[in-house]
Amino acid sequence: MQLDVAAIRQEFPIFERKIHGKRLVFLDSAASSQKPRAVIDAMMRMYTHSYANVHRGLYTIAEEVTEAYEETRAKIARFINAPDPAEIINVRNATEGLNLVAYSWGETHVHAGDRIVITEMEHHANLVPWQQLALRKGAQLAYIPVTDAGELQLDALPPLLADGRTKVVACSVMSNVLGALPPVTRIAEMAHAAGALVVMDGAQAIPHRAVDVQALGADFLAFSGHKMCGPGVGILWGRRELLEAMPPFLYGGDMIRTVKRHYAKWNELPYKFEAGTPAIAEVIGLGAAVDFLSAIGMDVIHAHEQEVVAYALERLAEIPTLHVLGSSRGERNGVVSFWMDNIHPHDIAAILDGDGVCVRAGHHCAQPLHDRFNLPATARASFYIYNDKDDVDALVKALHNVVSILGR
Amino acid sequence: MSSDLYREQLLDHYHNPDNFGALEHADVDIEMDNPTCGDVIHLTARLDSAGRIAEVMFEGQGCVISMASASMFTEHVKGKTLEEISAMGLTEIQEMMGGVKLSMGRVKCALLPLNAMKEGLKEKQ
Repeated sequence: MQLDVAAIRQEFPIFERKIHGKRLVFLDSAASSQKPRAVIDAMMRMYTHSYANVHRGLYTIAEEVTEAYEETRAKIARFINAPDPAEIINVRNATEGLNLVAYSWGETHVHAGDRIVITEMEHHANLVPWQQLALRKGAQLAYIPVTDAGELQLDALPPLLADGRTKVVACSVMSNVLGALPPVTRIAEMAHAAGALVVMDGAQAIPHRAVDVQALGADFLAFSGHKMCGPGVGILWGRRELLEAMPPFLYGGDMIRTVKRHYAKWNELPYKFEAGTPAIAEVIGLGAAVDFLSAIGMDVIHAHEQEVVAYALERLAEIPTLHVLGSSRGERNGVVSFWMDNIHPHDIAAILDGDGVCVRAGHHCAQPLHDRFNLPATARASFYIYNDKDDVDALVKALHNVVSILGR
Repeated sequence: MSSDLYREQLLDHYHNPDNFGALEHADVDIEMDNPTCGDVIHLTARLDSAGRIAEVMFEGQGCVISMASASMFTEHVKGKTLEEISAMGLTEIQEMMGGVKLSMGRVKCALLPLNAMKEGLKEKQ
């Protein structure tokens, strides 16, 4: 099935806008996606029709909002094939979800002399929490290297698992810089065989392809709603028995069963990990985003992006001074990071903006990965459901303009 | 925006910077970077007997804004006292760069040479 990109663009009010008199060519969805009317309307409807706090009220609108909030949890569980909605924890973003695991599980399970394994292609969100846990605990932090071709060097993992000291392997399901999809299922098998848990960063994968947490073999997986047409809310999924055994991350209202003057008992899952009033409208908006994406079909979305990114790689090869980071073979999701000879990525992004083309420039929260390639920064174009080959053409035309302005 | 940002004057400084290199026996010698964008500048300066900036050189790599700013900065600050340097801010840098309008994201690039100089003078004291 072909994606009708023109029809999809009409669902996103922002594309009615002109930038410097030009059509908006938004190629920065890997940072945050645009929002369809369905999501904006769902949040607006809640605020104008049935807003109250969740879980406490005994009146009609409080019951309505609680029902909508909990329905979303069930919807998200189905979306990632989690066995139990109680395993779906609403957090602020993927970063907070990963911090929750590093603090709550990490503090109680990682000790001095243990090892934490991550990959060289991690986003800072799945890197710094583990780096700091290792420093707090006197544990070792080891990296699975990335090859020159931008692929994970998987044969580096078995030696790191051999001595049984590795407690956790943290890896991204899809790199936000390389677009690469590391063999996470294989990594999970190897880690589990060595008695280690696997924490996956799904922030880039979940918006773009069907993800089944059980098939992946993950123990925890975190992702962000704002990269998948939803608002600013995040989800942490974890296996029930692990979550049950973990101490709370944040303390306060809603996460307790009883509070006495000198002790407290914790609420059941998932509420144990949802202290305080949650981002109610955002959670409901995320439910609308899941409906929106599901109606299109994750497989259709994935196939469409493969087509657009293949075309992008082909057209970018026309510019001899432009170099694409990462593999040209193997699977690549809709992210293309690149650099140009003697031109700073910030200048690329600024000149592209003049043509209405939005790309990101910098290290994309993956500094160790850029260090590994000896690049201080790259420019990144990322594609989503509202992008098509015309957008790629607009990008390439604008890049030729960059060369004509700066490439002397 | 971009046509204004990439005007000829700034591009000339970017492609053919003034005072590019490093001074020997400098009073100020500092390297500073913008970690978020990877701009790096190595700034060296000599002061005269009255304590004014006599000579400035820079080397480094970065975007058009940071490099053009550094190039213009090396001439702009000659003869200035340390007090005058410490009083300098974004407005003066923007004026120095021909009144260029900078977006929030580019302000740090333009300020890199000034911040390096301020830091270098502080280290010297």
